[in-house]
Amino acid sequence: MYRYITVVILSMICTHNSSAQNVVPVIFRNVWGNTPLQLDSSLHTNQDTNISTINNLKYYVSGITLLHNSDVVFSEPSSVHLIDARMPSSCTVMLNLPKDVFYNRISFNLGIDSITNVSGAMGGDLDPTKGMYWTWQSGYINYKLEGKSNACKTRNNEFHFHLGGYSYPFASIQKIVLNLERTDSIVIIADVSTFVKQIDLANENSVMIPSEQAMKLSRLAASIFSIQK
Amino acid sequence: MKKYLLFVFGVWIMIVALKGDDETKFRIPKNWPKPVYEFNKNPLNKDKILLGRALFYDPVLSADSTISCTSCHLQYTAFTHVDHTLSHGINGRIGTRNAPALTNMAWGTLFMWDGAVNHLDMQPLAPISHPDEMGSNIDTVLFRLRRSSIYPSLFYKAFKDSAITGEHFLKAMSQFMLTIVSSNAKYDQVMRKEKGIAFTSQEANGYRLFRTYCESCHKEPLFTINDFRNNGLSVDTTLNDYGRIKITHDSKDSLCFKVPSLRNVEFSYPYMHDGRFATLQQVINHYTTSIQHSATLSPLLDKPIFLTANEKVDMVAFLLTLTDKEFLFNRAYSFPKEIFMSAPKE
Ligand code: HEC
Ligand code: HEC
Repeated sequence: MYRYITVVILSMICTHNSSAQNVVPVIFRNVWGNTPLQLDSSLHTNQDTNISTINNLKYYVSGITLLHNSDVVFSEPSSVHLIDARMPSSCTVMLNLPKDVFYNRISFNLGIDSITNVSGAMGGDLDPTKGMYWTWQSGYINYKLEGKSNACKTRNNEFHFHLGGYSYPFASIQKIVLNLERTDSIVIIADVSTFVKQIDLANENSVMIPSEQAMKLSRLAASIFSIQK
Repeated sequence: MKKYLLFVFGVWIMIVALKGDDETKFRIPKNWPKPVYEFNKNPLNKDKILLGRALFYDPVLSADSTISCTSCHLQYTAFTHVDHTLSHGINGRIGTRNAPALTNMAWGTLFMWDGAVNHLDMQPLAPISHPDEMGSNIDTVLFRLRRSSIYPSLFYKAFKDSAITGEHFLKAMSQFMLTIVSSNAKYDQVMRKEKGIAFTSQEANGYRLFRTYCESCHKEPLFTINDFRNNGLSVDTTLNDYGRIKITHDSKDSLCFKVPSLRNVEFSYPYMHDGRFATLQQVINHYTTSIQHSATLSPLLDKPIFLTANEKVDMVAFLLTLTDKEFLFNRAYSFPKEIFMSAPKE
């Protein structure tokens, strides 16, 4: 009986505390240069690239952590989010922080860690029906970008980047750490044009297996994230 | 305060009720190692096992509804496809590898001849999506299951959730596969010292030879070390399959393939990843006379193995003691008539 009373008291404390929680949105804004990324529509071409459309942009963000200088002050529990440019609601992650945490940096992974990759079937954003799981070889796709460009001499001018791989020597998960300007809401910009502009689409337009090339492009994909000023 | 007490009591009742939910215990055969599969993440339950079994037998998983898992993994032949060197899928398409026998998957670490699949749960995705096998994809499969007249209720019964998700689909398939355990061959009965069971002198001699030459890779009681080795097969230049290196990109893994279990090996012919040998005699002759030396050949096979004609016969006699009749005819693994007969198929 004492056990139940303890549980009761604990649950009262918990419910009490939750009202004091601080909800902070983390918004992933996928952009093309200075404008929000429009899928399936012609993107204005400039000298650097012949891009015409992006048809699919999906990536995993995991292990969201807040830091004060170099101290971890908050880690989101079971933190995995599939950001899908086609689903605006997927681009905002709500963090439930306890009151009185002070932080000035955010860190997260672009991709899924190796433990999760070998843990069997999972649900939610990790469900293999999300189009982010390879079938011929086990493993999550961390970052998926598909589109068309007249630079690609491929079928329908398509390019496909399915970046992933969790084990040595091709572990492609990327850790990203950004300094924050403000802390009531966190807006993270992902400028897809900087990724695409640095790829020679005529020669590099299909990467679908864990490889050296996938590693290089994963590092590039991680470099496009920044904090909105 | 009273409200809280009531609430807590309610939660407790729920936990107790859920606990009693037909959990089925996985039985580990005597003297066997602990299984690798983490049952706490997917606790066995008879409704889930039955659902997985129905899915295993249902051609709805393939693009044109002609091929089920059992088309290539037939129970009476230890869940493999006899007579075909390479597997056959939809539209008579021929794959590039021989379907392995399925047994004791709860002890498996990596699946496929090259270990491409890292968890039993993820295995069905490969044949479902492979153009030469079932030629479909998981979204199409789930779409069809949601519209079928039998599956929504089977999923609800199993998972208490009528949404048919990829996770539940895969977990149910694993549940059935996990129950496929072969541990009652004559070999096992001899090891358990069951009354009135003993090896013949031929079998006993074969067992002695097996322990000398084969045991280090085909380790008892599973008859595999669940790892990858080069056992000296020559490269088939029509397939150019170099095995494990495709996954690890490590030159040490060139020509290494998964060591298959030898349980029910009497029925898993043709043998090897490409089905190149039709008989056990041929397999043994390979080990005694045609080992190909290369940089990655297992050192265990570096020194030639000499066996007399009689010893070869004894070795085969021993291998036949790994046949488990109870397993091959176990009704719990067979076509679940009760499901498919009771409801009209869509
Ligand atoms: C067209 C024939 C075919 C069909 C249909 C098929 N398989 Fe297979 N299966 C194979 C082949 C061939 C392999 C080995 C492939 C490889 O190693 O690349 C295999 C391998 C496996 C393995 C790995 C065994 C081990 O020990 O490594 C499992 C488990 C398995 N299949 C289960 C299934 C399930 C479940 C289904 C139905 C969803 C299925 N298979 C459908 C041909 C088939
Ligand atoms: C160095 C490890 C190693 C040793 C020692 C070894 N094997 Fe194998 N065995 C393998 C591997 C690896 C395969 C699968 C090779 C492939 O398909 O490419 C295999 C396949 C087989 C198969 C085919 C099974 C099937 O279902 O396709 C049989 C039968 C077999 N071995 C019997 C034996 C016997 C008998 C001996 C002792 C004379 C022996 N092995 C010694 C590694 C070994």
